[in-house]
Amino acid sequence: MSESKKKILEMLAQNKISADDAYKLLSAVDAEKAGNTSEGRRSEDTSDMGHNPSADSGLGGVKLKGKYLRVTVTPGENSTDPRHGDRVNVRVPMNLIRAGLKMTTLIPPEALNKANDALHDKGINFDVRNIKPEDLEELVDALGDMTIDVESGHGEKVKVFVEY
Amino acid sequence: MSWPPMLMHVKVKNKENDFGIWLPFFLLIPVLAAILIVLSPLIFILILVTWPGGWGRWALNALWAAICSFWAMRGLEVDVENAKERVRVSVF
Repeated sequence: MSESKKKILEMLAQNKISADDAYKLLSAVDAEKAGNTSEGRRSEDTSDMGHNPSADSGLGGVKLKGKYLRVTVTPGENSTDPRHGDRVNVRVPMNLIRAGLKMTTLIPPEALNKANDALHDKGINFDVRNIKPEDLEELVDALGDMTIDVESGHGEKVKVFVEY
Repeated sequence: MSWPPMLMHVKVKNKENDFGIWLPFFLLIPVLAAILIVLSPLIFILILVTWPGGWGRWALNALWAAICSFWAMRGLEVDVENAKERVRVSVF
């Protein structure tokens, strides 16, 4: 048995992760071994896994790829103000984000120069031409570690997270 | 293997209207694919002609990016609701 599998089972025994999560992580380990890439790492049913950060919590490099970026806005329970009563639920496939990032290669160099100049004017010395598609891919993968949870004074809750 | 979107559902509900529309992508994809195949020699020639100026490469990349984006739309869901209106877009 591999170290990763042992660690998953240990976490299950310690009730740090659920049986479902353990199953998915074990499947991911098997998929990794079989040489599968993104498709193999996906679980059969990921709907109930939500944005559980345990999916990538130090399991010897085992990391599930996120399927959807979720953005939810829920109004406060006692909110009667219609300006703060919006309810938003957006689910964007991560593949769509990746595909959208490919569009950045279509930005003409002149526009990038203008962006650089604008950044420079704001005091930011950063060359946007240095951003490579590989870096963006890494950035999208790293989104899985991100969770934003904001609650406003009106009781509105905004959540941004990655669903597995 | 990822599948292309097959259906899109748009639903708008407010005090005056309550309508939903289903867009059958599974019917449109074969038609668009056929058009693309028919036009492919023309597209190929256009790309070749515009290649030295840099536009051919850009057009090829743009076409590929558009196809990739469309292909990746499956699972997209947008649901916005307020006191007056609800708009829901789902791609299956």
